[in-house]
Amino acid sequence: MTRARRGPRGGGTWLVAVLVAALLAPAAGTSRADDEVRLPPITRETLENGMRLVVAQTTELPLVEMTVMIGAGAAQDPPGQEGLAMLTAASLTRGAGDLDAEALAVAIESLGGAVAATAGTDATVASAEFLAEDFDRGLELLRLVLREPRFGKDEVRRVRDEQLAALVAALEDPAEIAEQCFAAFLYGAYPYGRPQEGRTASVERLGRRDVVRFWDTFYRPNNVILALVGNLAPADALAKLRAAFADWEPAAGAVPTRAGPPPPLSARRVLLVDKPDASQAQIRTGAIAMPRNAPDLLPAQVANTILGGGFTSRLIEELRVKRSLTYGASSGFAARLTGGDFRMATFSKSPTTVETLALLLATAEGFRSEPIDPRALAKSKAYLRGQFPLRVETPDALAARLAEIAFFGLPQDELETYRGRVAAVTPAEASRAAERWMAPPEQQAIVVVGPASELRGPLEARYGSVQVTTPEGCERLATPAAPGE
Amino acid sequence: MPERRRDSLTGPPPPPNRGTVLRVALVLVIALAGARSSAGVLTLPVETRTLANGLRVLVHPDHSAPVVSSYVFFRVGSRNENVPRTGMAHLFEHMMFNGGKRFGPGVFDDMIEGSGGSTNGYTSRDLTAYVNNFPREALDTVLALEADRLGHLAITAQNLEQERGIVMEERRLRIDNDVGGTMFERLYLHAFERSPYRWNTVGFMADLALITLEDARRFFATYYAPNNAVVVLAGDVETADAFARVERAFGRLPRHEPPAPVSAEEPAQDGERRVIVRKRAELPALLVGWKAVRAVDPDRAPLDVLVKLMTGGESARLTRNLMRDHELVTTVGADLQWGIDPELFTLYAQARPGRHVDDIVARVDAALARYARETVTPAELDTARRQLRADFVKGLKTVSGKANQLGFFEVVFGDHRAMSGLLEQWDAVTADDVRRVAATYLRPAQRTLVVLDPQPAAPGATAPADPAGGR
Repeated sequence: MTRARRGPRGGGTWLVAVLVAALLAPAAGTSRADDEVRLPPITRETLENGMRLVVAQTTELPLVEMTVMIGAGAAQDPPGQEGLAMLTAASLTRGAGDLDAEALAVAIESLGGAVAATAGTDATVASAEFLAEDFDRGLELLRLVLREPRFGKDEVRRVRDEQLAALVAALEDPAEIAEQCFAAFLYGAYPYGRPQEGRTASVERLGRRDVVRFWDTFYRPNNVILALVGNLAPADALAKLRAAFADWEPAAGAVPTRAGPPPPLSARRVLLVDKPDASQAQIRTGAIAMPRNAPDLLPAQVANTILGGGFTSRLIEELRVKRSLTYGASSGFAARLTGGDFRMATFSKSPTTVETLALLLATAEGFRSEPIDPRALAKSKAYLRGQFPLRVETPDALAARLAEIAFFGLPQDELETYRGRVAAVTPAEASRAAERWMAPPEQQAIVVVGPASELRGPLEARYGSVQVTTPEGCERLATPAAPGE
Repeated sequence: MPERRRDSLTGPPPPPNRGTVLRVALVLVIALAGARSSAGVLTLPVETRTLANGLRVLVHPDHSAPVVSSYVFFRVGSRNENVPRTGMAHLFEHMMFNGGKRFGPGVFDDMIEGSGGSTNGYTSRDLTAYVNNFPREALDTVLALEADRLGHLAITAQNLEQERGIVMEERRLRIDNDVGGTMFERLYLHAFERSPYRWNTVGFMADLALITLEDARRFFATYYAPNNAVVVLAGDVETADAFARVERAFGRLPRHEPPAPVSAEEPAQDGERRVIVRKRAELPALLVGWKAVRAVDPDRAPLDVLVKLMTGGESARLTRNLMRDHELVTTVGADLQWGIDPELFTLYAQARPGRHVDDIVARVDAALARYARETVTPAELDTARRQLRADFVKGLKTVSGKANQLGFFEVVFGDHRAMSGLLEQWDAVTADDVRRVAATYLRPAQRTLVVLDPQPAAPGATAPADPAGGR
């Protein structure tokens, strides 16, 4: 395949501005009637055992989609047991109730359905999809997976071995290495520095007993949110969900105590991850920023769209369009429960890697330190508002958004008010958010994955001290007592 | 997972309809769960029209959200290229975003994003597609932009040089620095001798360096014509109004001479081929390609079913065998691309640490021998069909997905209505059909094996570059 992307060329800025102003003025104004998003009615209910349910009916497709968030993820992995939340999640579907692993797979797949679970940093997410007419059977299978996983000794061992193999396989992917090393380098021993899959040394030691303990502690209704969206009457859906989960036993310690905010960086740090065979280097830079529920997140995202979102961003213009240094460049805020970060990503062939990195940082700093152009802001807002309906277009996307709203404690009308709130962001608010949350270059963590023999000299010449490691070596950056604490 | 091609180009041309307006109202009725229930039916109303200049237009109204998806498909992909000008179609796709006559450089993306839309494009072996997803108010803006670049693209040296550099980075990303991407490029190069499916759509690095402005101009004149394009609109539009707007934007563009047909006839393969890829990697891997069929071939449906039977889920036979029973692989996946020309049936597997490709090949051989000898159970067949249906529906969840599918079928299958026949074709597949196609196509003599022989890390050393990396 070749999913191509491209960008525009420079020049003609004045013409662009005039055309955009003339043709798009109506779309770029403030709140309008169509700021309302056509969402189905949403019903919320909390069961006596604390489990939170969110239900909405869509009728376009004959499907029912469920997103379940269990409030424990890799951040809850006990020290030395990194990878346990993931192992637990992946083991859920290897046998449940009376069904062994094979029988469970047959039961799900013979319906053309799907049930999958994976651990994120703050939560484990299980998702299920079935035809609406198979909902009763599908819900029963999901109930079994969440409440009665068998965790057979040999099955947990198999999943563990798969996880270990995946850790090895991930070392083949330069972008994946860059992401893992960046998280470890930026967050250090803070829980967000850990790879969700764990590390070889920790996963090797995990077994059934650890999985059962993790599940027994955290997989409790008072730590669970279930969102259902699909072609099913809400009253009917709620009745069936109650029947499946109302007798699930809550537990006092199920909701984990969360870490405080991650410590910010005080100075620039540069990590070079040696990949001697690479002809192109992956680049990641960034700094600690804010959690998902921070009021500044929205204006910061509006500002970020100008810097590194879409195909008309500053980064694309400077790195790709004007100089052909890269095929892609982007920036964004990763916002989680207890903290988050601002990060930028790009890549370039080895000979132009340092030039690309320097330009990435300089472009972001230029943007951060200057007031935002109101016309650029109007375009950013039009883009975010226009794309929003597509972010909640499918039942599974809507279910995921609804579960997240509950999990992050966001206002219940988060989706309904989104476009109006974007429209209301002022240039001053966006400028202030950018200046505050997009760190200056001298306070960013910089990670480059590429051939050290070619890159070390030029990086040291520009940035001074450079820490060099191997892809495997990044694991050690996130262990306690590593830099960053 | 390694690269996967998505779509494709120049099939049988659409029904000609000179000058006058022909409208075919059609409702694609997609029965998802068999005939037993109305809950499992998905309907997809589509109207079509062909303008006097040959432009084919498909409209699917869907008012569930105030958004529209537009796709402009061109019946040109890398199958229309020749060595030493591979990569032309894809490089040209990049150039299409850099300005026309009415709208200058940089305007396209600005106007689309400024009106709340997003824009992109993709190229496959068979086709090139331009995608916009936007609020319905922007429809005229989008159509004006699309018509301007189709009629009057500014093909300049600056445009070409800019995109050449970017595409070379794209090649380094997807092929040269991606183990799976390298393996897939090698597979097609060695499996095909004459078919233009041989080369990857991104093109050889050396060819990318050779493309001239004159090549680009000739390419544009040959393939970017209304009579070589399909416009698909899906979403919050009224059908009659949408046709009128498309006519206004595109109606005056002139018809061109149709491009020469592509010949993809491939000599019969006379024995197994093995290719070794030596590259820095962690785990051995195997990619097999068997000579298979074109999308419209009657044997495609049983081969689709066989894909799911082999690796359609954890309960699928080959997945279970390699993942669970013998714990040989980290991942395994079969696939059959739907192409205008005969494609490959592929199987990718990555060995677990300490496991060997030879053992995987032996297990695959044993499984295939069994498929060729014994019929599968009715339950297995039913599961495979349901999985095919479920995947198909996933492609239709969004207006963008629907527009993409409609255009893909129109171009690759020659008629978007082929979509509604798909489920019937899968339903009609018998266990004996599966046995027959396994025996006919998945034979050792028809296959090419690409074996990844991982080279150990040599820190500090300058490892040899990927042979096709073209530095």
